[in-house]
Amino acid sequence: MKKKTFSRFTIILFLIGLMVGIQYNTINEPESRESHDIWELRQELSREKQLHSELLSEISALDETLVKYDNASSASPEQALKDTVQELRISAGLTDMTGPGIEITIEPSPEAMAFGYEIEGISPDLLIRFVNEINRFKGLHVSIDGQRLVNNTAIRDINGAVTVNARPVSTPPFAIKIISPSTEDNQKLYNHLLGSRLIDDFFIDNLNVAVQEPSEKLTIEAFDEALPVDFLNASEGE
Amino acid sequence: MWLSILGLILGITVGLMADIRIPPEYANYLSIAVLASLDTLFGGIRAHLQQTYDDKIFVSGFFFNIALAAGLAFLGVHLGVDLYLAAIFAFGVRLFHNIAIIRRLLLTKWTEKQKVRKTI
Repeated sequence: MKKKTFSRFTIILFLIGLMVGIQYNTINEPESRESHDIWELRQELSREKQLHSELLSEISALDETLVKYDNASSASPEQALKDTVQELRISAGLTDMTGPGIEITIEPSPEAMAFGYEIEGISPDLLIRFVNEINRFKGLHVSIDGQRLVNNTAIRDINGAVTVNARPVSTPPFAIKIISPSTEDNQKLYNHLLGSRLIDDFFIDNLNVAVQEPSEKLTIEAFDEALPVDFLNASEGE
Repeated sequence: MWLSILGLILGITVGLMADIRIPPEYANYLSIAVLASLDTLFGGIRAHLQQTYDDKIFVSGFFFNIALAAGLAFLGVHLGVDLYLAAIFAFGVRLFHNIAIIRRLLLTKWTEKQKVRKTI
């Protein structure tokens, strides 16, 4: 009799153990399995390498500045500082820029005009998509309808009007100007824009994207407001 | 008794080694089933110590409790009420209760043994 009881207990305990084991396995699963194939790994590697080379070039640029400071420290420290300030102003978008660039006109599509549709403004989502698309290219200076894009530019809908830097964008047609760091980059951007699927997205909104031939000298305006800086204070003394 | 513990160890080993995984959405049911079976187990041990153990009650209780708990959890998911909490509560309370009784029974047994030894 007792033997039978214990055998029952054994079976039940075995089942409990089995369930606990399975539960433990299930709970501890999260580490996902490596399922990348060799090409995905290669792509990842090349992305990382690109990042690496970007970081290296940044380091070398900073090193250059450092050397400049060292050289200038005896001669004219102010000049070196002024140069740096000027560089920073350029990268922040606080100066007018002239360089190789492309002008793009966003206009109502001829089909929409032929059908007599009402011309509506561009949607902020589409504009943001466009900006994100061209931001694949590094070091661009962009202005949309005369508004320079800086780091804290907001493109959004305010009371039904699409605004850039809180200024309304005019109803199409309006111009987008892009300045690239070099002529080759400019050409690359031009080719990319011509082949981009983004133009189809504009067409859905009854808009046509006219990409003008790259020009060697295009000028875009400076960001004309004070940059809002919340947490940076000028240091005093020393 | 050692056979039972061996069974438990064997079960855990097989469960871990077999590398069986159930879909995460069913993990809740399994955890409740484990709780239900632990409840039955301790109930069985208590009954054994109180000399009221019955084979049929033990085995049927095991499967019935598991099915009931899983069913409650299933119903809860479909009704949008966390009914499995009811199962967890009931089993949890009973588990503590049973373990307390087992502890008391074992303690009385032990003290009686001591007494007997002293009188000898």
